[in-house]
Amino acid sequence: MSETGQGAPAQSATADREIVISRVIDAPRELVFEAFTEVRHLSRWWGPEGFTTTTRAFEFRVGGEWDFVMHGPDGTDYQEWIRWTEIVPPEGIALLHGEYRGDPNAFESVLAFAPDGVATRIEMRTVFPTKELRDEAVEKYHAIEGGRQTLGNLATYVTEIVRKGVEG
Amino acid sequence: MAAMARAATTSDVFNAIAEPQRREILALLRAGERPVTEVAQELGMTQPGASKHLRVLREVGLVRDRKAGKQRLYGLDARGLRPVHEWTGGFEQFWNESFDRLDAYVQDLKQARQERSN
Repeated sequence: MSETGQGAPAQSATADREIVISRVIDAPRELVFEAFTEVRHLSRWWGPEGFTTTTRAFEFRVGGEWDFVMHGPDGTDYQEWIRWTEIVPPEGIALLHGEYRGDPNAFESVLAFAPDGVATRIEMRTVFPTKELRDEAVEKYHAIEGGRQTLGNLATYVTEIVRKGVEG
Repeated sequence: MAAMARAATTSDVFNAIAEPQRREILALLRAGERPVTEVAQELGMTQPGASKHLRVLREVGLVRDRKAGKQRLYGLDARGLRPVHEWTGGFEQFWNESFDRLDAYVQDLKQARQERSN
């Protein structure tokens, strides 16, 4: 996991409740940026392998929203809602990510695209609503990782039960 | 301190499932709804103990309850698992895997553009 702190340029005011993930992509940043701007692009890569999306509404502009359902490979559906809060082509995008419009647990991610030779470095900085939420997650990450198989199975069982409940 | 620890347990799904007995309850409830008396009996807990665990699980959204005649039945609630999903599947893992796919997709885009310009 990529911890914050190490190699972080400057400590921001939210450093204690954020997670930073970065990646270098071997393509010019105009192209990387473009992959974030349209559903036909986003739907090709959003989510881990095996995930798909169904879009209800999409408008790529500041204040615009992406309202969609993400389908997990185990059949679980996730309601997703995104509002773009800042768009600076091709340098960066800021967005609010929750499950629905007005979600009180929505969190903000800021994506920065920087040239790295002929490649592009993406840095995604996600700020959680509270330090507690982020700290607990980081502290427990290893313990949780240990229980992952069990929890994954539990999640599958729960999904089956919910589906049976809906059908029955 | 005790009050703080308790507040964390009842408000946080990760703390709730860190307790082995509460995981046993979740595993038992996979088979279907049960009243607290059955949960206590099947898992060899006292009824007040089972009640306490069920209350914690309900507060974090892992268990829901409903009245059925004179008794109250407890069942699993999938909504509470969302944060677990996000952290165990892992927020970071989610994005690292998405970025893997983004990388592959952008390579395709790049190649398509190059072919068009040639």
